Amino acid sequence: MELFFEHFITKGGYKVALEGLLATAEIAVFGLIIGILLGTVIAIVRVMPKYKVLPRVLDVICNIYVALFRGTPMVVQLLVGYYVLLPAIGLRLDGVVVAVIIFGLNSAAYVSEMMRSGIQSVDIGQLEAARALGMPYAMAMMKIVIPQSIKNILPTLGNEFIVLVKDTSIVSFIAVVDITKAFRQIGDATYEYVIPYLFLALVYLVLVAGIAALVKLMERRLKKSERQ
Amino acid sequence: MNDNNILSVRGLKKSFGKLEVLKGVDIDIKKGEKIAIIGPSGCGKSTFLRCINCMEDPSGGSIFFNDVDLADQRVDINIHREQIGMVFQQFNLFNNKTIIENIMLAPVSLTLKKIKKAKRKNFFTKVGNIFRKNKKELIKITQTKAEIVENARANAEKLLKRIGLEDKADVYPSTLSGGQKQRVAIVRALAMNPQVILFDEPTSALDPEMVGEVLDLIKEVANEGMTMLIVTHEMGFAREVANRVLFMDSGIIAEQGTPAEIFDNPQNPRTIQFLKAVL
Ligand SMILES: Nc1ncnc2c1ncn2[C@@H]1O[C@H](COP(=O)(O)OP(=O)(O)O)[C@@H](O)[C@H]1O
Ligand SMILES: [Mg+2]
Repeated sequence: MELFFEHFITKGGYKVALEGLLATAEIAVFGLIIGILLGTVIAIVRVMPKYKVLPRVLDVICNIYVALFRGTPMVVQLLVGYYVLLPAIGLRLDGVVVAVIIFGLNSAAYVSEMMRSGIQSVDIGQLEAARALGMPYAMAMMKIVIPQSIKNILPTLGNEFIVLVKDTSIVSFIAVVDITKAFRQIGDATYEYVIPYLFLALVYLVLVAGIAALVKLMERRLKKSERQ
Repeated sequence: MNDNNILSVRGLKKSFGKLEVLKGVDIDIKKGEKIAIIGPSGCGKSTFLRCINCMEDPSGGSIFFNDVDLADQRVDINIHREQIGMVFQQFNLFNNKTIIENIMLAPVSLTLKKIKKAKRKNFFTKVGNIFRKNKKELIKITQTKAEIVENARANAEKLLKRIGLEDKADVYPSTLSGGQKQRVAIVRALAMNPQVILFDEPTSALDPEMVGEVLDLIKEVANEGMTMLIVTHEMGFAREVANRVLFMDSGIIAEQGTPAEIFDNPQNPRTIQFLKAVL
């Protein structure tokens, strides 16, 4: 115990931990943002009317995309991205950037499914009223349908964020120092793992509880705003 | 084609899969006409109305709106929909927008979109003009974004005042009664200054005590000269407001005429049967 705190505080272990926490947060937050943006686009493609050829082609592409990212573990996606694809195209990117991209792409596949059911839960009359006023499909979706579906799926989006935060613990596979890696380094330095790992678990618990509380708060805000 | 006709429907057909719902509807509608559409449930009244603004894509035939065939897939339907208001049985106010936003949203967003497009076009014209001897004219943009929003707001406030709901401007639709919602839906359609309004059973989802206020508003709008098509089960209202009544039966217009002709002296046995059942 003392060993841990000595290393953690006086020998700058907390700095490593804070940097790790920052990496964890960056990957989860930016991953979620990319996931929501891209996932929304994919969801719209998948619910779009399919009379014309282009929507059908896009739909097939999106289906393959979702199957690909949901059908493989995220670690494998990280490894393939970092050690196979990047070298193949001769690009060098920071591990955190790669992690953000892969987390974003992966999350998009899951968010698209949530968003699709969210869109389908919005009464079709909302879209029809917007279209009847002359709004193009994309405008009607963006201004009317998507905001309502996001509200509907806010709890599931919150869960997705929590999953992302926890999944960041695998990024040390591509040499990123996240919070997990940071505490392992502290353990390595002191040959004492019990306290660091318990402390690590506590950090994740606090993070997850914080996010859950935040989501609850947002939900309540949204509910209230439409009752006035 | 007659120039007086704002709408000319020719041989309109619509099928859902194997089910043929509209089997060839023909009608000419002049500016300012008030058409009531009656008929048994499931005969295709809503489908007919929804084909007019292509909420349902017609399977065959033509819909000439100011001589443009809306059934033609190459026509940009959105521009024409701005001119064709629609009022739904279920009101369909935007749940995520306040009442005044419901009214302002389409006028503002669509105008801004047009300005954006004009600006983009002007940019290319300007670039092109560098190389042109005869300079091409730019599209004039007369309003700023703030002005557009302000105008739309002023108009929306005027409309809300007209229906006595100015104090509801900033609340969400979930707090309104059915009658209030439908009246907002009607002025939302009016805010686009449409040439025609389509009403699909505007009072069928209302509690009986709220039917009157909605019908009164529709009458007012009718008296101002608006061209309208109204699917309704309110026969008294149809008789009072409509100048022409269409009786639809299994996908065709089985009989049409003035309210007096249809209600007092129907010819078609199906019309007689239907009226006997509802009156
Ligand atoms: N989107 C649709 N898909 C399949 N069938 C439909 C659809 N819309 C309407 N129908 C069918 O078309 C027929 C006519 O419907 P509708 O036009 O709503 O009748 P009305 O408004 O006169 O009661 C009904 O049998 C209905 O079930
Ligand atoms: Mg109907």
